[in-house]
Amino acid sequence: MSSTAKRGLWMGVGALLLVVLGWWGWQRFRPYAFHGTVLQSAEPAPDFTLMSADGPVSLSDFRGKIVLLYFGYTFCPDVCPTTLFEVQRTMELLGEDADEVQLIMISVDPLRDTPERLKEYVQYFHPSFIGVTGSDEEIAQVATQYGIYYQKHEGTPATGYLVDHTATITVIDREGYVKLIFPYGTPAEDMAADLEYLIKH
Amino acid sequence: MTRRAFALFLLVGAWLALTLAACQKAQGPNIEISDAWGRPSPKVATAGAFYMKIRNTGSEDDALIGGESPACGTVELHESFKTPEGAMGMRPVEGGKIVIPAGETVELKMGGLHIMCIDKKVDFKPGTTVQLTLHFEKSGDIPVELEIRQPMK
Repeated sequence: MSSTAKRGLWMGVGALLLVVLGWWGWQRFRPYAFHGTVLQSAEPAPDFTLMSADGPVSLSDFRGKIVLLYFGYTFCPDVCPTTLFEVQRTMELLGEDADEVQLIMISVDPLRDTPERLKEYVQYFHPSFIGVTGSDEEIAQVATQYGIYYQKHEGTPATGYLVDHTATITVIDREGYVKLIFPYGTPAEDMAADLEYLIKH
Repeated sequence: MTRRAFALFLLVGAWLALTLAACQKAQGPNIEISDAWGRPSPKVATAGAFYMKIRNTGSEDDALIGGESPACGTVELHESFKTPEGAMGMRPVEGGKIVIPAGETVELKMGGLHIMCIDKKVDFKPGTTVQLTLHFEKSGDIPVELEIRQPMK
């Protein structure tokens, strides 16, 4: 082939190499993109002390671990088990690193959810899960602090009242700051990837 | 007419009658239930949810109007939904029935329509089955055997 053609060929190869290198560099060095919604809270996550079947539990008890806060109730047949199952799968995906993660379920139905009932319910999903409850005032205070909406409303005579509630998972990092929110329906793979990042950094 | 001819005549007549009867049956709804399952849960969880696919291969609409199970005090039809505040809620289905249009499949699944097992009487253990009788507006009672298992992922 002619010398110009040869030069053109080498330039083409060079350009291709640059593109490939650039793409690889971008993949390797770009900042991690969280799946969950990132929050930059200036204040540490508010501490609380609520009652579990094994005694009082405070958020500060778990400083150094990553805490997942979920507000729900044991009477909820669909949304709550669905979410807790996703967290159970997340723990499985994390393998050994699951020891760094603590799920706390806070009941939005303190009237019907006793600490014992909560314990049996959450531990059905994972032995490390903790369920807590408190007085109406205590629950209302923590929910407000974490921006969680919940509302009792009439069901049927058979169901009794039902509680609408924000079904997100709030992620508190090792330093005690709210870092992420996982919307309802976030798959375990996404949660595990985000938590893995928080564990390693 | 000979005896043989007469016998043949009867046979053809009977076949015709049966075929016509079968044709009649094809009119109306035809409900098929598949992939019926419930999540494992301990007795302390007094409400459970059942999910399934309901297919109507017939020529008329039908509707699921209720159900019964020895494992549940009461069976009701509910759906999960997102409230205006962005919270998740649950409510009985509108009109108390789930319409299964002719030729379509309605899926009862997590986060949506489901059959609620209220006042659950037993542990739902994985690998076991639960008997459920579904009541349909036109098709009447249809028995279903639900598999207790983890959600497929």
